[in-house]
Amino acid sequence: MRRSGDNRSRLLLVTLIVTSLFFITLDLRGVQVMSGLRNGAQTILAPFERVASSAYSPLGNFFSDVAHLGRTRAKLKKLEDQNAKLRTTLIAHKGQDAQIKALKSILDLAGTAGYKIVNAKVISQGSATSFSQTITIDAGANMHLTRDMTVICGEGLVGVVKVVYPSTALVMLASDPAFRVGVRIAGTQQIGILSGQGTDHAVLQLLDSQSSVKVGDALVARGSQANKPFVPGVPVGLVTSVSNSAGSVSQMASVKYYAHMNSLGVVGVVIKAPAADPRDALVPKAPVPTPTPTVTIFVTPTPTPSASPTK
Amino acid sequence: MNTRKNLLSAPIFLVVFLLQETIMNQIHLPIGGFSVFLIFTLGWCALSTPETGALVGFGAGFLLDVAPHSQGPVGQWTLVLIVTGFGIAYLRYGDDSFRASPLSLVVIVAVGVCATLLFYIGTGALLGMDFGSTFQLVKTVLGNGLWSLAVTPFLLPIISRLHGNIFESREFK
Repeated sequence: MRRSGDNRSRLLLVTLIVTSLFFITLDLRGVQVMSGLRNGAQTILAPFERVASSAYSPLGNFFSDVAHLGRTRAKLKKLEDQNAKLRTTLIAHKGQDAQIKALKSILDLAGTAGYKIVNAKVISQGSATSFSQTITIDAGANMHLTRDMTVICGEGLVGVVKVVYPSTALVMLASDPAFRVGVRIAGTQQIGILSGQGTDHAVLQLLDSQSSVKVGDALVARGSQANKPFVPGVPVGLVTSVSNSAGSVSQMASVKYYAHMNSLGVVGVVIKAPAADPRDALVPKAPVPTPTPTVTIFVTPTPTPSASPTK
Repeated sequence: MNTRKNLLSAPIFLVVFLLQETIMNQIHLPIGGFSVFLIFTLGWCALSTPETGALVGFGAGFLLDVAPHSQGPVGQWTLVLIVTGFGIAYLRYGDDSFRASPLSLVVIVAVGVCATLLFYIGTGALLGMDFGSTFQLVKTVLGNGLWSLAVTPFLLPIISRLHGNIFESREFK
């Protein structure tokens, strides 16, 4: 190790660390320059992200498909062969079809509730190393988006607009660990708070110690003051398990989101909420078991033929 | 340390950063995935002197800080990468046996990725950030480490060639 270089190296290290601490302090104090830097970076990155997203999306679908396939090698091989054949015919339409379907379901949901929405394509998702769950959409201030608007997909709540850039916006997903939303149990109207956990499940805490929740209960957003950040009535998720610990003040439950946060293609941003709360109108119908028809056969005793037939 | 040579490496980092933000972020791999940018940065630091390591960490951290997905305050990634960049370069710079073996380089980069993420979580916790469940954290850190271990051998030849082209391996002599 160079002895003469040691002091200089130490000085450099200390200077750099102090500079970074200086940055952190400036940002935490809310100095505009720091958030301006991120705005600038997003403005520069947006066109690249758009190009990469349109070029990459068929390949990305393929990767996520393969990641979720069964582990059996033979099955994998068979499916891959089948996929390869099908993909050549489907590849051109697959992306568009999925987007049209997602768009249609968003419009259905928004139409039932009377939300006025702006549609947007997801152009980028949060990085693997960041612990927050975000997506970037291709609509921003140009489409009159502002901070704290509710973002939905065909299934239900996706998240909330966190930062608006000139032509893109950053959306915090409902699965983000920092995400909190006031919810109401559809039907019983009890209220609680749902917290994201970084996974596809969230934790529901009921506010009233007397109220109870059961598996299969559907949750809708309770709505916020002036409809920001949440418009009322958006379906959020389904209760999958309830924890009954004697020591806890109120009941806790695990909730699975209706929306699939990992495979979002098209989302809708609610820019105007309806005048009246849609209440439970948007909760997806639980699957009704199809009745199996029972056939009842009436047997009437036939008169036994007499020994001497009459003529 | 040569300012001109360090400046020459800046465009390479910009390109890798762009690649990470536009393409790599869209790939969803099981158990967390990996960051090419982080592997590239730590690999580069491992081949450099501690001074260059700290400088490279500063530049790369600042890029990660201004990335739109970054949620912490500007400066957090910078702080984390200065320390790990310097650390990884310091560890390897003094040890000849380390430099001779590519395997140790792969291991040290993968461990470096884990250490960087842990340090990020640590500083984030101090700054009051919310990280969700412990299981998710452990999964992300370990997943990143394992993926880095698998991917680094393919990236290292590229990193060391680019590094050699700019620094001409004269720093070690």
